[in-house]
Amino acid sequence: MDLVALGAGIAVFTGIGAGIGIGIATAKAVDAVARQPEAESKIMKLLLLGCALAEATAIYGFVVAIMIKFA
Amino acid sequence: MDIKGKLHELLLEDKVAIHLNIANGFFDVNKSVVLTWILLAVLAVLILFLTSGMRVHQPGKRQLFVEYATQWLRGIVGGILGEEAIGYRDFITTILVFIGGANLMGLFGIVPPTMDLNVTIAVAAVAIVMVEAAGIRALGLKGWFKGFAKPMAVITPMNILELAIRPLSLCMRLFGNILGATVIMELIRMAVPIVVPLVFSLYFDIFDGLIQAYVFVFLTSLYIREAVE
Repeated sequence: MDLVALGAGIAVFTGIGAGIGIGIATAKAVDAVARQPEAESKIMKLLLLGCALAEATAIYGFVVAIMIKFA
Repeated sequence: MDIKGKLHELLLEDKVAIHLNIANGFFDVNKSVVLTWILLAVLAVLILFLTSGMRVHQPGKRQLFVEYATQWLRGIVGGILGEEAIGYRDFITTILVFIGGANLMGLFGIVPPTMDLNVTIAVAAVAIVMVEAAGIRALGLKGWFKGFAKPMAVITPMNILELAIRPLSLCMRLFGNILGATVIMELIRMAVPIVVPLVFSLYFDIFDGLIQAYVFVFLTSLYIREAVE
């Protein structure tokens, strides 16, 4: 049995964390825009930045998976 | 469709562009280095073209555009750096332009140089050296060493670990994002060769590349700001 593929698959589970994180961030951003529509551009900037940072964990998982599979 | 072959070609291909017959190929020049040279040449020519013939009175359209763009980039970076570290603004802007340009190379069907881990490690190393140098310059060597024991003495090992974790996370984030974007773009190109890649290219090549350049610069500026305080 090829356990390497299984390991790579488990590594990609980091995506769960990123998904939850980005979901929470977006929900809060929607909340904030609904409360203060005039601050939309500022909130948008922070949201994009937060999403990019939260996405990083998923990317780490992806890099690890690729490393397990190919390196 | 051979996904496995495509991935192998992307990840495990021979990365050497110029082979030098010294020390068993230790000084071989990688493709990413050559691509970086091309990028630097393009940027240099662009900058020379854009800044030629500047006038104080009656500036031309080109000069107005350059001044606007410079002000805009400096504004972005300066806003994060704050008053105390404003001297590092141009250094950070240079990194932003370099990484942004490197990430955008994927648009032209070239493998971006930032997809090579060596390039991102180099950029992250430059950034972290600059962060620590800024700290030493602002606080003095003694103050810099004392900074490790802040806010509490218990936290010192964490602060020392951060010296290694910060550049590692910086280079891995950039590398992983660009690698992911390139792999996904290649797979999409393989599945549907026309129209569809264009739409996804907007996100993966332009948006993601620029956002990652911004995130890199944002974090570096934040570290510098924290170091000089």
